[in-house]
Amino acid sequence: MIFGRWERAKESLSEELESHLKMAIAERVGRGEDPEEARAAALREIGNLPLIEDVTRDHWGWLWLENLLRDTRYAFRQLRRAPAFTATALLTLAFGIGANLAVFQLLYSVILADLPVAHPEELVGVRAARTPFDQAWLVSTPAYERLRASTPEAPLLARTNSAQEGLQLPNGALGKPSVEMVSDNFFDVLGVVPSAGRFFSREEAAQGQSEWPAVLRYEFARETFGSAQEAVGQHFLLNGRAFVVIGVAGRGFLGVVTGYAPDIWMPLALQSTGGFDRAFDSLGPGHDVNLGKPWYNQPTIFWLTLMARVPAERRVAVAAKWDQVFRPDRELMTEATADPALKAALLRSTLDLTPANHGWGGIRNSFSFPLTLLMALSASIFLVGCLNLANLQLARLSARAHDLGVRMALGASAGRLIRQVVLEDALLVLAGCASAFVVGRLASKILVVWASSHNSLLKVDLRPSFAIFALGIALMLLALLSFSILPAVIFMRTGVAQTAGLRSKVSGIAQTASQRLRSNALLATQVSLSLLLSTMSGCFTATLVHWETVDVGMDREHVLSVLLDMHQHRYLGDHISSLPALYRRMQERLQALPGVRSAAVEMCGSMHCGWNTAVYVHGRSDLTNGQVHGQEDHVGPDFFSTMGIPILRGRDFSFSDTETTQHVAIISRSYARQLFGDADPIGEWVGYQPAPNDHSFLIVGEVADARVNGPELDAPAMFYRSLEQEPYPASNVPVRAVGDPAQLADSVRQALHEVDPTLPINEIVPFATELNGELGTKRLLARLAGFYASLTLLLVAIGFYGVMSSRTSRRKSEFGIRLALGATRRNIQMLIIRQTARILLGGIIPGAVLSIFAVHTASHFLYGSVSANSVAVLGASFVLVSAGCIAAFIPARRAALADPLETLRSE
Amino acid sequence: MAAASKYQNRIELLQGTLDMLVLQALQRQPMHGYAIAQVIRNRSSEVLTVETGSLYPALHRLERQKWVKSEWKLTESKQRAKYYQLTALDKKQLIADHQRWLQLVRAIGAVMEPEVQP
Repeated sequence: MIFGRWERAKESLSEELESHLKMAIAERVGRGEDPEEARAAALREIGNLPLIEDVTRDHWGWLWLENLLRDTRYAFRQLRRAPAFTATALLTLAFGIGANLAVFQLLYSVILADLPVAHPEELVGVRAARTPFDQAWLVSTPAYERLRASTPEAPLLARTNSAQEGLQLPNGALGKPSVEMVSDNFFDVLGVVPSAGRFFSREEAAQGQSEWPAVLRYEFARETFGSAQEAVGQHFLLNGRAFVVIGVAGRGFLGVVTGYAPDIWMPLALQSTGGFDRAFDSLGPGHDVNLGKPWYNQPTIFWLTLMARVPAERRVAVAAKWDQVFRPDRELMTEATADPALKAALLRSTLDLTPANHGWGGIRNSFSFPLTLLMALSASIFLVGCLNLANLQLARLSARAHDLGVRMALGASAGRLIRQVVLEDALLVLAGCASAFVVGRLASKILVVWASSHNSLLKVDLRPSFAIFALGIALMLLALLSFSILPAVIFMRTGVAQTAGLRSKVSGIAQTASQRLRSNALLATQVSLSLLLSTMSGCFTATLVHWETVDVGMDREHVLSVLLDMHQHRYLGDHISSLPALYRRMQERLQALPGVRSAAVEMCGSMHCGWNTAVYVHGRSDLTNGQVHGQEDHVGPDFFSTMGIPILRGRDFSFSDTETTQHVAIISRSYARQLFGDADPIGEWVGYQPAPNDHSFLIVGEVADARVNGPELDAPAMFYRSLEQEPYPASNVPVRAVGDPAQLADSVRQALHEVDPTLPINEIVPFATELNGELGTKRLLARLAGFYASLTLLLVAIGFYGVMSSRTSRRKSEFGIRLALGATRRNIQMLIIRQTARILLGGIIPGAVLSIFAVHTASHFLYGSVSANSVAVLGASFVLVSAGCIAAFIPARRAALADPLETLRSE
Repeated sequence: MAAASKYQNRIELLQGTLDMLVLQALQRQPMHGYAIAQVIRNRSSEVLTVETGSLYPALHRLERQKWVKSEWKLTESKQRAKYYQLTALDKKQLIADHQRWLQLVRAIGAVMEPEVQP
């Protein structure tokens, strides 16, 4: 725009002068002169046309702009002339700033950002009581209704965890969206604004709708129906039930559980239709619990998480009121345990309100330490980058000292020179930052993938926010200041003045003392930080490798997991008793496949899925709560041999254990130790409740412990029952292969579909992948720290190379003289290498201290002791020393090859 | 040789007078740059000559100060040229300049020819 006007004005001026010239010629011709002569004379009379244009333009007051353009062109030329420096600078800025932006984006969305609603500081999570088995903060529907009714002034919402459900669109498209059940007032209490349509009303969220209302997440609505507006009024099926979209939540609203955004919200009342399972806890078997019937009128089924909007000043009063209303439920909960101490403790506990301005639950807690650590590492890589560039810049300026000195001597102002240098760097920084934003956007997406477990991508709001831009601009200015303005000013103050009058070569030697010290200090600082990053990278990688290879008590290498979703009508209800026959057919078919050693079925389909349970021993009334509690899974015959879990005593389940024979159980070593000490558990009678219901099952086997909750968590005390005796939908069909299990995926899928063509297979995945999927934050740290370490290593190498080559080229004549006076080439080489070694040492010692301190701080996140991890410092030092020496060796060799004759001639 | 002698007879313009001459030239009608130069030369009987290199900077400076404004028009010989004309601001400026000039002439006259004074 402004340039267009400028160009037009320039053209207009040229035309004006042109017309002046024409008139002058015309007049001379009119007086009878020869046209050629007339033109020459007129031109002579007018004088230097371009100069006139220049002088005239001066009066427009735009000259600074032209100078700027000229300086910019000059800057571009300079940058093109130094491609290595330009590339290093761009790389450093793009990754140095980009990494910071990416990590900060994650840190901001996961840890710092409030929920995108009005007055998030008023939101609280309600901690009523820990449930008997899962120790979760869940309450029953009757309790929720009573609490909600008791305080109209403090609106209270209820929600469940989300689960994936089968979606069918009118056009036949299928999907597996994540669905959360919420109370009708969910959005109103949170203060979410719809981006289209409206939210639930009390009436339509009640029982017995023919078509249920649903609210969609913004992005989900856009991906599924094109836009939020178009989504409203659309119909779809969810697990076979009819739904209509009544509204779409505001764009940034991703639910209240950080990292796990539901795609669809639907009313709590849908539970009673029987089509949707949600995690729950209850008083346990034997109490008045009926999971098959609607839960809304059962005070013994705990499945709702509560949140409320209560201003800070009213919290104490509201909590007291609710505590009183919750009293009967607390008393009911005590029935779950026989332990009098536990009963008393439960009755003594009170209802608490906890701030929920960031939402409640999710990945926030588990990610806050790793992300903070990563932020610190990112900051150090930025620092290394800036120091490196500052150092290269000083070296580069010294190389240009002669040129700059001459220009200054010819009358260029120091201000203009600084401006030119700074402009050059500003261009670099601008280009670098533009790339950094791109790198940052891409990287934050990659980071989310790294941090997610293998089948559920974390959903966090990655839209750029003001905070990100502010950080980007701040880093940009910081980079400009540290690697451009400061070096330029320092240089102008110290360098040019002397150089101007002197011969640059001689002055080059004279001035290096303080400059050398400065660039040595810069390099040493880089070495320290690089050592820190390399050490951390080593530790995190070792930790990740440890968890990826740790003995989990199962065969992680040869098992293929076939994850099923059998929670469907045709397998439930009356059909449930036909499941064992189906399982047997599947198992026989799979075991007939070439490459398959064995196969089995399991109720649990993923990590952390087993039921929390309690097992009482017949004839023992002395057992404490800690002894009876454990985890329960239901499996078919051959499960243990398929998973590679050794049977220590007794026998496996067999097909002769049926619904009508004596119900049997197998317990794990740690459960056996909990209940029986070192005594043989085989033949003992156990049950879910204290006497007289403590002899429902006969223990027939004891198996080794296995880390079924994920590689990092201790093996739980496991109580196994037979799927043959207690038919239940299987979620996993483990298949043990002879070789690589991934190879079998296709034939396994085909074989299963031959047995049951409609068997709903969610995923076929190697068990190792499933296990490693649990290591999200470890993977994030290891990969990112590894990337940072390599990047800083590269930067340090470039730094050494750049500084040493500029130094040796400046001292070329000195080396020539030394050589002429009898120094050997080796002496010269050693001179450079010694200098390098001094810098490395100066960096490694503080770096090692820093690293050990960092290892200590992060020790709870690392596998192994602090001292074992500190050994990584040695390895990292070795790598750094090698990199530094190799980088310095090239210029050292070049220096040693200096020709003394050439030097003497030029002296 | 006529041209050379004519050139020698010309007088370099005193600093600050060019603006006044330009404004004076424009007083009667809008003109383009070439015409302004001609008018000044003719009125001074070819004694005063305006260098192109001074005229255009002056015109653009005056335009920037909003003392003249310009527009592109066709000349009588059907050629595009940029015509300058006075603005209201400018009349005052001209009067002030004229006053200063008369003062200057009187002062210089007094210095150069003291014996004429009574």
